[in-house]
Amino acid sequence: MTWLTWRQHRAEATVLALLVAVAAAVLLLLGTSMHGLFPHGVARCAGGSVAEGCAVALQRLWEEHGYASKMLSLFNLLPFVIGAFLGAPLLARELETGTWQLAWTQSVPRMRWLAVKLAALGSLAVVLTLALSAVVTWYRHPLDVLDGRFTADAFDLEGVVPAAYALFAFAFAAAAGVLLRRSLPALAAALAAFLAVRVAVAGALRPYYASPQTLANPVTAGDTTVDVGGPRTSTGNHLDWILATGYSDAAGRRLGLAEVYHMDQDARRSGLDLATHLRDRGVLQWVEFHPAERFWTFQLIEAALFLSLTAALLMVVVWRVRRRAL
Amino acid sequence: MTATDIALTAEGLSKRYRRTWALRDCTLEVPAGRVIALIGPNGAGKSTLLRLSAGLLAPTAGTVRVLGEDPTANTPQVLARIGFLAQDHPLFKHFTVAELIRFGRSCNRRFDRHLVETRMAELGIPLDRRAGALSGGQQAQVALALALAKHPALLLLDEPMAALDPVARLEFLQVLMGAVAVDGVTVLFSSHAVPELERVCDHLVVLNGSRVALTGDIETLLAEHRLLVGPRVSAEPESSATIVSATHSDRHTTLLVRDGGGPTAPGWQANPVGLEELVLAYLRRTPAPTAEAVAA
Repeated sequence: MTWLTWRQHRAEATVLALLVAVAAAVLLLLGTSMHGLFPHGVARCAGGSVAEGCAVALQRLWEEHGYASKMLSLFNLLPFVIGAFLGAPLLARELETGTWQLAWTQSVPRMRWLAVKLAALGSLAVVLTLALSAVVTWYRHPLDVLDGRFTADAFDLEGVVPAAYALFAFAFAAAAGVLLRRSLPALAAALAAFLAVRVAVAGALRPYYASPQTLANPVTAGDTTVDVGGPRTSTGNHLDWILATGYSDAAGRRLGLAEVYHMDQDARRSGLDLATHLRDRGVLQWVEFHPAERFWTFQLIEAALFLSLTAALLMVVVWRVRRRAL
Repeated sequence: MTATDIALTAEGLSKRYRRTWALRDCTLEVPAGRVIALIGPNGAGKSTLLRLSAGLLAPTAGTVRVLGEDPTANTPQVLARIGFLAQDHPLFKHFTVAELIRFGRSCNRRFDRHLVETRMAELGIPLDRRAGALSGGQQAQVALALALAKHPALLLLDEPMAALDPVARLEFLQVLMGAVAVDGVTVLFSSHAVPELERVCDHLVVLNGSRVALTGDIETLLAEHRLLVGPRVSAEPESSATIVSATHSDRHTTLLVRDGGGPTAPGWQANPVGLEELVLAYLRRTPAPTAEAVAA
């Protein structure tokens, strides 16, 4: 059974391992030069510090590695590719070519056949994605220290969530394969589902894994972070995940953009700057955020979410194979 | 018959795909140590019956027992005793013949590698050739050898020769009959062509419209049936229970009757019936009413 699994899936396994290896090599190469910008550690340049040499290093980071975020956003597809290319052919190829009848009439009961294949290919998907996310985490180290780990190109590619995404893609492609009975449509369906679920979870669910913390402070005169669109208030930790900022009146009622705009007009008419005008009215500036320490809690919650989806999809696969009611 | 004499029993075996019944209320007993032909038109439920017997499908209703065991349990024990050759003899096309042998060994506790290698040498099929590069006849031979290497007690073959040319058919049957002679394996194979079965089969199951239309030992069936030719009759004669079919030409009426011989009415001539004619007569009959309809 082990040999059969390897023989049937070695092509996908080899190509995916090569893909991960190439991606890792590229990141190692680019990362070495990025890490080289901060010979004394990147931490001393973080949070708007003006330590010696930091201005130059940060300038060069921006000029020479500004593409990092765009490049990494492409990496979001790798967990899908790894999972789906292992999952789609698992059953669809057998059903497509009729070989399920050959495979399931040897002396290995087909539930055992399925268990071995799911375990072997699922583990491979996890190992490959964990390797990838380890390299991405290393590569992003300076960026993580400067920008935090809650940005889309950090949170989605570091820690354990990529492995959970890969397992979700694997299970969805396998389930689509057993229902559609063809590999290519199964891959297409898995891609659509992967993008939809990833976008929905990251956009609509992730901010609410825990209730955000809120800080509110009176506006001080001459505060340069005050802006009509919203204050750029700091939470005291530049690594926190800031969800929203805004103004509220002295009673704590949040002010709409139109109200702030009118206040700005008033301030201009009376020749004051906005900050002073707001202070005179007792306006508070607030910020809603998740503290940086929540990174691992959020990682585990999101991973658990995708693993539950994976479990549900695998139950569909098991049910279909057990009944073979096609 | 005792349990060891019976290779396969089905009782009220039914399989439904969504709304259509692929097999309905199938009850039959297949003796061990025989070569049984499963005949029926396309869509009669032959493949469904064979897949149910191999444990590849779960029945919607009824039971099937193979060699005294329930194939749907899908245990290694029952799987090891069944050889299955699916329609179009599917093989892993990218595997070489040697790799297919390795597949057989890795997925079976008992696998006669020597048998396959000997057979391949006899047939001149190189072990390093990919299965997809072999001719249809060679692929069928490889698939048959893989099934035989399990030394199964029951071999289920689903239209094994449908895609083969006449020479390949002959070679295939020779190998199959050799295995029957050596191992005494029970063979149940489906087909929609009667002539090729006549020489090798000694038992018959006719499926029609997803039901069993006729089953029994071929010699016995042929002895029980006869053709009666007489002057044309307009009305159906009495005792129609024994009449399987009636065909009328301008002046004659030909009746296929199942009366086990006996005296012939004056003016009528009795002739033996051929297997193909017998099967066709049963296939042309409209399927018997359903069990529910009778009960109602």
